[in-house]
Amino acid sequence: MTSGPTQAPRPTPGRLKPYLAMVLAVLFVPAAEILLKRGAMATAVHHGTVAGLGLNVLTSSWTWLAIVCYIANFVCWLYALRHLPLYLAFSLLSSTHALVPIGCWWFLGESIHPLRWTGIAVVLLGVVVIAGPAMKAEQRL
Amino acid sequence: MTPSILALCLASQFCLVTGQLLTKHAMNATNLSPIPWPRVLMRLTLGIIVLTGWFFIWAGLLQKKDLSFVFPFEGISPVFIVLGASIFLKEKPTFKSWIGIALISLGIALVASS
Repeated sequence: MTSGPTQAPRPTPGRLKPYLAMVLAVLFVPAAEILLKRGAMATAVHHGTVAGLGLNVLTSSWTWLAIVCYIANFVCWLYALRHLPLYLAFSLLSSTHALVPIGCWWFLGESIHPLRWTGIAVVLLGVVVIAGPAMKAEQRL
Repeated sequence: MTPSILALCLASQFCLVTGQLLTKHAMNATNLSPIPWPRVLMRLTLGIIVLTGWFFIWAGLLQKKDLSFVFPFEGISPVFIVLGASIFLKEKPTFKSWIGIALISLGIALVASS
């Protein structure tokens, strides 16, 4: 996978816009996952191969709302990817590993063990370690 | 964690990472001048097809397990993504980024073990 020889960085209007797109992309993930879980719970059956493939989730309107959130996430994600390296963007997206369990606890009533809260804090610390210097560097430009 | 759940988790990981690499590869091409649209759209379409595969595997997993149980297994994906981006897209993560990625993976491991 190599890029062509005509690499010419395009001017980036508003340096923080990719980060705004990143924040929106991150927030759409817990929304989509919680809606999809609602859809999956509403359609869960315990036999049959179609259910095993997950196709019957499409019969729930929760699932379609989840798909709308996934699409919104994908559009924001594409915009962010255009300007940020994948390793940085995906690391920022990893904050969803903290936000999704919090969402599960808040909206779905799933329980969170104290060790899990510790893990959530460590994930967020990792995101700050990666995002902090990158955002400062962008702001200086 | 039965073998079939583990296999589904691994398949979903593979699709997620491959799909993201293809997507980034497509968006990198939009920074060329002039933009090679056929190349961009082909890579993007491939990426979307692979990510659609991820979506259905993931939905199948969610029908069997709690979201907070299976979500941590997506946790190893930052490591695979950074390795893939370094190898295939020639990105160069900084030392501090690796520390952050290690913290994220450790945090996700803690979440998974609870």
